[in-house]
Formats: sequence, structure tokens, C-alpha cells
Amino acid sequence: MADGSEEDHEIMAAVARGDTGAFRRLVDRHAGWGVGFVERMLGGRADAEDLVQTAFLRVWQGAAAWEPAARFRTWFYRVLYNLCMDHFRANAMPTEEVDEELPDGRPDGEATFAAAQRADRVRAAIAGLPARQRAAIVLCYYQELSQADAAATLGVSEGALESLLSRGRAALKKSMQRELH
Amino acid sequence: MTNDMERFRACADAYGADARRWPEADRALHARCAVTAEGAAILAAAARTDGFLDAWVPEPAAPALAGRIAEAVLDEQPRRRRVAAWSAAAFAASAVFGFAVGFMQAPADPGADLVTLFIVGPAAAPGIGL
Repeated sequence: MADGSEEDHEIMAAVARGDTGAFRRLVDRHAGWGVGFVERMLGGRADAEDLVQTAFLRVWQGAAAWEPAARFRTWFYRVLYNLCMDHFRANAMPTEEVDEELPDGRPDGEATFAAAQRADRVRAAIAGLPARQRAAIVLCYYQELSQADAAATLGVSEGALESLLSRGRAALKKSMQRELH
Repeated sequence: MTNDMERFRACADAYGADARRWPEADRALHARCAVTAEGAAILAAAARTDGFLDAWVPEPAAPALAGRIAEAVLDEQPRRRRVAAWSAAAFAASAVFGFAVGFMQAPADPGADLVTLFIVGPAAAPGIGL
């Protein structure tokens, strides 16, 4: 398989035998995108790294029971998504504050600041969406998962996924319009 | 064409302007409708939402992140195992100590049941002692 899923299965088989080198390889292959996904779900980097670490702890502890019914990546998305939902249930929705610190001393400081402000507005708008609409947009738009994989991650049909996406993007459009007025 | 345009609009509302994010089955529809005036207007509106989303690009993960996570997990596991081993040892030691204390404090009663004595300890057979 060209997407590396076969190699993931081999690595997981080694991880199941307690091979720490294989575990390091697995983390190396999947930590980056995992943190990107979770950061967009939670809206913050520090929590995202902690949550991805928790996910990998579960992988290490449960590797012996893992069955390669699906691609590792698809399965790991599901683990991360469930941990995000646990996080939302355990905590009030985080309110992100705009970082007012200017990147001083750089000729493009003003442009950088404006871009950072735009990014913060997007982050806040996405954080304001209901969790499943947010997850649908993060999975399909940012992570570019196929409809089948995104629907499987959320545990919904592809039709329901499309509905979540439409409602989420409509809400974002309203946020954009509020900004313009 | 009306039904096609409705589906085209539904896809643009859900997946945005870029055909690569559309379901495979609808990509031909994208190509057909995008060239019409109505289709182009629908895609332009979807592209504005795409542009809004594109403004948020998280910093890429630091190259050392994966190593840090792996080491943290692998350090955590042996630590948990050590804690479990120490807990078991402490429990066993306290059980032996309790048995010994009970054994030494109980008054003598040669008539007590020896089976009870060895299973539960002298506290359960208060008449027995050394």
C-alpha cells in the first residue's frame, strides 16, 4: 500500500511485542499530523501535545490487543477524536485570548501581526462551533480526509457528515460577515 | 440542470470551492457547473469561506516533539510498573508484619483450632499464642 499503512501494521506488530524502537518510529510517523489535528480541535498547542501523548500512551499500553481491521491512521484519528470529546466534556469550552504581543524588530512586523490576528479570529470562530461541526471541518478541510474516513472517525454516515460540514461552514460564513460589518 | 445545480451548490456549501475536497462521485459535476455563470458565483462564495479558513495555519510541530512524546510514554510505563511492584511488596510486607504482631500479642490457648490459626492468624483465634 502506497499510503504507508502496511508499514504501520508491521510497526504495530513490533510495538505489540514491546519493541521500543518500533514505538519511537510509530510516534515519529504520526505525532506531527496528530498534534496538528488536535490543535485545530482544541484551539491550543500545549493541550494538543498533552493529548497526543496520552493517545500514544494508550497505543503503547493497548498494542497487544490492536487488530489491523482498519488503517492505523484512521484508527488513530478515532482515538484522538474521542480524547478531544472527553476533553470537551471535562472542561468548559476554552476561550482563546488574542495574543497581543507584537513581533517587534522585524520589518514585516505589522503584516505578521495582522496575519496573527486573522488566524486568531479563525481559531475563535472554529472554537465557537459545536464540537462535531468543528471536527467535520477540521477532518475534511484541514486534514483532507476522504468523506468515508472522516465519517468513520465521527461515527456518522457520509450524508450526516455533509450536513455537519454545511452547517459548520454556514456558521463560519456568519462569523466572517460579522467581522466585515 | 436544476438538480445538478442544486447538488453543485450543496457540495460547494459543504466541501468548499476546491474539487479535490469533493466526493469523487461529484467531481465531474464540479467540472461541468464551474464554467457556468451561476456555478462560478457559487464557487466564488465558497472560496471566500475557504480563504477565511486558510488564514489559520498552526505552527508545524517541532522536530523534537515526536522524540519527546515517545520518551515520556516509555518513561511513564516502567515508572508505573515500578510503582505497582512497590505497592505489591508493601502490601505483602504489611500483611506479614500484621500477622506477626497478632501472633505475638495473642494470649496462649492450646485448645484453639490450628487451621484457623494458620489461615487467618492468631487475632481470629484469640486463645492461641506462643
